[in-house]
Amino acid sequence: MSGEQADAVDAALRELLTDVTSRPDLRGIPADMPLFGGGVGLDSLSGTLLLRQVKRRFGVDVAADDLNLDSLESLSTLTAFIVERLSSGSR
Amino acid sequence: MASDVLVKCVVWDIDNTLLDGVFLESAGELPPADPVLAAVLRELSSRGILQALASRNPPEAAQYVRNVTEADFAAVECGWGSKAEAIARIATDLDVPVDAIAFVDDDMLERAEVAADLPDVLVLSPEDAADAVDWPQFSPAVITAEARRRGRLYAERRSRQAAASVFGGSRDEFLRHVGTRITIAAATPSDLPRLQELSVRTHQLNSAGEPLTEAELSHLLASADYEVATLRLADDFGDDGLVGAAFLARTGATSISVPLIMMSCRALGRGALDALLAWTCRAAAQEGATELTVPCLVTDRNVPMRLALGVAGLRAEPGSVAADGRALFTRSLTGDMPELPGWVAVEAGK
Repeated sequence: MSGEQADAVDAALRELLTDVTSRPDLRGIPADMPLFGGGVGLDSLSGTLLLRQVKRRFGVDVAADDLNLDSLESLSTLTAFIVERLSSGSR
Repeated sequence: MASDVLVKCVVWDIDNTLLDGVFLESAGELPPADPVLAAVLRELSSRGILQALASRNPPEAAQYVRNVTEADFAAVECGWGSKAEAIARIATDLDVPVDAIAFVDDDMLERAEVAADLPDVLVLSPEDAADAVDWPQFSPAVITAEARRRGRLYAERRSRQAAASVFGGSRDEFLRHVGTRITIAAATPSDLPRLQELSVRTHQLNSAGEPLTEAELSHLLASADYEVATLRLADDFGDDGLVGAAFLARTGATSISVPLIMMSCRALGRGALDALLAWTCRAAAQEGATELTVPCLVTDRNVPMRLALGVAGLRAEPGSVAADGRALFTRSLTGDMPELPGWVAVEAGK
């Protein structure tokens, strides 16, 4: 709900992303850079591993609620999805 | 890297690995030990190799596994943390180097996570573990040439994981760097046994979620209504052979459907599924179709398949999962097509 919470989620996601990819250079990417394809270059494996870490960290099961996994578009869409789930009390 | 290091400790998962079922889902009667893996466990113990458990179950499950396998476990990690962390603690507790540890789990994603975090660990599926007793890593005296070959395949994988963990560049740069070669070709009758094996053994990277018999596969290969494409994968570390296939069927004047696309977990993270889907979109467009549909089982275990479908531009109607657990992923074949990377050679097509 608050911008503060979104900032905290965004910061945690950047940490998880660098863990999953072993690429510290990804920590400072723009929040709207595409996570798949040309941008960050996640693939189906690294994307899945990121979602597992998200579930562990936030208790939010993105794969169960988002059939097309569109929330993995970018860090900002993923942050928004997680913040929305946390504030709707699904935790 | 450390390809011929002897394994000193095997870390086992419990559910659907050492047990033939899920501990917490058993109403009343607890699942029995998997007889094959329990025998492997005892054989390896008799060779002086330590055994350990890493499970998300409560500690009672470990005690139960002790009883039904009649084995001693030198270390037990039960809890919700990552298995890589559990393995690292076991290595410290038992004073065993990480490259002398093997890890057995039925869940492909658990295996992928451990392989990424601890590239020196020898990561095995239960099927692999069943014949691992013959591999050089588990036995100073090598027994057969086939066992040596299988053992080498896993040593190659470990070397690739180690290289990936220190590479630093993007995934595509890594795939190019290690000389990844993908060949897509029309299936032939000689591919049948391997296709059947893949159809039975792939669960998490299998859109249909149901195995096909060799007779059914043979029929599909011979049918003029189907096009069956195989994918072979190799790189500078080794040749994995036939690892995936896609089945294309014409379902209307302008529509092509993919009743089955499957990929070995060996190929995960190596661009193979993306390449096969990109090829499928392009092949369907070349046949004159304007729409591609992929019915896909939706489970919490085949998330990589759904992500790959999304990368290839396929979408399902939100909330459209049918009673049989499937959703229909579709895309238009007009406009931009997914790119085929330069390391993909195409020999398919009729």
